[in-house]
Amino acid sequence: MNKTVAIGFLLAVSAMASDLTGKWSGTFRVDGGDHNVPQLFILKQEGNTLTGSGGPNAGEQYPIENGKIEGDEARFELTTGEWKFAYDLKHTSPDALIGQLKLQRVNDSRNAKVSLTRSKGQ
Amino acid sequence: MRRLILKIHLWLALVAGVFMVVLGVTGCIIAFEPELDRLLHPHLSHVKQDSRIISLVEIGEAASTKYGGEPVVAYLPSSSPDFPTQVILSRGVVSVDQYTGEVLGIRTRGQTLLGFMRALHVQLATGDMGRNILRWSNLAILISLASGLYLWWPRKRVRIRGPRWSRLFWFDLHNSFGILSLLPLLMLAATGVVIGFEDGIASLLDKMSGRQPVQSPQISTRMEPALSAREITPDQAVAIARTHLPGTVAYRVQMPRYGGLYVVALTYSDHRISAGANSISIDPTDGKIIAANLSTSLTPRERFMATNEAIHTGNILGMPTRIIAALASVLLPLQVSSGLWIWIRRTTIFRHS
Repeated sequence: MNKTVAIGFLLAVSAMASDLTGKWSGTFRVDGGDHNVPQLFILKQEGNTLTGSGGPNAGEQYPIENGKIEGDEARFELTTGEWKFAYDLKHTSPDALIGQLKLQRVNDSRNAKVSLTRSKGQ
Repeated sequence: MRRLILKIHLWLALVAGVFMVVLGVTGCIIAFEPELDRLLHPHLSHVKQDSRIISLVEIGEAASTKYGGEPVVAYLPSSSPDFPTQVILSRGVVSVDQYTGEVLGIRTRGQTLLGFMRALHVQLATGDMGRNILRWSNLAILISLASGLYLWWPRKRVRIRGPRWSRLFWFDLHNSFGILSLLPLLMLAATGVVIGFEDGIASLLDKMSGRQPVQSPQISTRMEPALSAREITPDQAVAIARTHLPGTVAYRVQMPRYGGLYVVALTYSDHRISAGANSISIDPTDGKIIAANLSTSLTPRERFMATNEAIHTGNILGMPTRIIAALASVLLPLQVSSGLWIWIRRTTIFRHS
């Protein structure tokens, strides 16, 4: 009985840990770029769907589009204007998201590396 | 001394010549990128001028209705009576006739040949390594030009002699075109070096002027996804912004759903340096101006960088300087190839003799 409760508790903790809901911050760096660009996301996970917003800081946030979670991978998009950002991230630990970003506008396409960590106290 | 300078001139061309050719050819093409882009998409680029222009709201509704009711991310009002207004949606950029409301079509995001030319010019389309190669190649061009002037100076050749395609012909061609294109190429290379080493130069300028880099103002987040009925329209936002900055025209209007506020970017039509550095952020609920970033309040570093870019792109004096920049860019591959041809012919002659 105790064993079952312990396993159940561990599973519940694990599920909570892998939930992406919360505030995430970090940077991306475009290949060939000379500086890191700050990132702040306020994510909300409901099942396999990811919603919320993201941008360079808390004051400038853009709605998340087409947010999906498959296993330990999270994919979503942001449109900030001329540029569209398509994120392809991997949940490497409960508090870390690392992956690729494709930035596209008319006549242009670039790749970037993204690294995000969960903000404490969220 | 002359022999040493000649060796430096030659070795720079041998090592960086191929990258100088890339910079010249791509620079010439992207000097006219907007015109070429319009030429490649004529059906999305031209409208017939009329007396009445419809509102941004009507233009946005026409674009949104045509493409599945997608919300408008931003507007790019027409910069000329013959060009359409563009509406940015998540799926692409829609061209709309601002006189009739007719949707002309959509451009999707992604790489094109023109974009690839720009990527080649900036970073050899290969990321960090390409960018590093090009920034040093720009420096190599500067040194080549200075050493070329030193070598040209004693004889001061500016005419082409000798039978066509002979070694003398190429020698004179190299000398004459070199001196004719010297000044614009010096400007292009020097401004290119500044762009290549922008981070280091920018922090140096900040230290010299004793100013810290400007941080973006923190604005309270507004997360509601939809525009409420009580919010001001994009047309009202433009009117408020233009009242704050008379004599300007709006060239971009960001919708509050994307970023939290209306952000209206304005330009003075007769200012070519940092003309686009004016933006007014407006609260969509009451039309109050929250922040105003103006070209008049640029830091010395920002002003220097904007001037540098205007010289490099040829925008500093409009079309005449753009043409000069493009012609100088075309001459760069010619200088590299004629110089190498002289060297190859000379080596061959020496070997035969």
